[in-house]
Amino acid sequence: MRYLILVLLNAPIIGLALLNIITQYKMKKASKARFRHQIILWGLILVALLCSFPFYNYLSDKPLLDSSELSLFDITETTAIIALIYIINSQRRRIERTEKIVRDLHQEISIKLSRNSDD
Amino acid sequence: MSNPEQVRVCIVIPSYNEEKSLGDVIDNLKKVFKKSPYLVTILCIDDYSADKTSAIATQHGATAIRHILNTGAGGATSTGLRYAKLKDFDIAATMDADGQHAAKDVLKGVETLIKTDTDLLIGSRLINKEGMSKVKVLGNKGLSFITYLLFGVNSTDSQSGLRIFSRKALDTLRWETSGYEFCSEMLWRAKQLKLVIDEYPIQAIYTDYSKAKGQNNWNAINIVKSLVKRRVVEMFE
Repeated sequence: MRYLILVLLNAPIIGLALLNIITQYKMKKASKARFRHQIILWGLILVALLCSFPFYNYLSDKPLLDSSELSLFDITETTAIIALIYIINSQRRRIERTEKIVRDLHQEISIKLSRNSDD
Repeated sequence: MSNPEQVRVCIVIPSYNEEKSLGDVIDNLKKVFKKSPYLVTILCIDDYSADKTSAIATQHGATAIRHILNTGAGGATSTGLRYAKLKDFDIAATMDADGQHAAKDVLKGVETLIKTDTDLLIGSRLINKEGMSKVKVLGNKGLSFITYLLFGVNSTDSQSGLRIFSRKALDTLRWETSGYEFCSEMLWRAKQLKLVIDEYPIQAIYTDYSKAKGQNNWNAINIVKSLVKRRVVEMFE
């Protein structure tokens, strides 16, 4: 039941991330390389999530990491981490876009102002 | 580019507080390129200097563009190459303003680029290490090795400021970083764009002034940090 909650909580975040990148790609706002990387990244997170049940069982059986059973705290923590990856990734893209605009603007203004002073 | 008389070359000199050396750098370039068949424009990008860098550049006959903010070497170089693209130059070259590069090496680079159809030609100080201190050789070799590890670009001098760009490189080559790390990132972008990258030997001239103005060796740590960050970030792109 706990693993089901974990998957149910996180699947929408991953679904949203996948939907975003597919929309960006279809609207030609993302390159093919970026589309491929993002699909692989979120696909891996999804696979890790789906495999968490057997993986946790394996760890619980072995003294490897001395893991206890999945707790409600673990579920919250994992969901928070995945949500943060999603937020950080989209915010970073936004910041880089803004940085590029500011940089281009600064270069254009500097060139134009210097040209004006030449005239 | 069969007729060299019609080849227009823009020599970009990114400068920050370089009033002491910039005049000589421009004069030497004018002297060397006067004998060449190329139509040359010397462009100084003043990265918001506190001294008279722009005024010195203009006095010595160069075109000066003054940044309205300080952006770093990468930002100043980017502005220069943007200008060269806007003004339809056939070839652009970048060189340091501290007198570290010989004007004859810039001319040699332009001639080599035309002959070999290279897109990005790097003037390597490490093919002939004469005049370089052991610390500088070690630092530059280390950064070149890290550039190879991170981006798979094999260069003997990934941090060299003397670079020659073809028209194709001017049209396509862009980078994100604005500090000294842009040197390595530029090579990576060129590789991604499948541009032809090559090197040629140059002589590094180290005066007391250029030694004092040059990069602090500790800055290598900042460069590496920034390059690793850029590499990791783009794994998520």
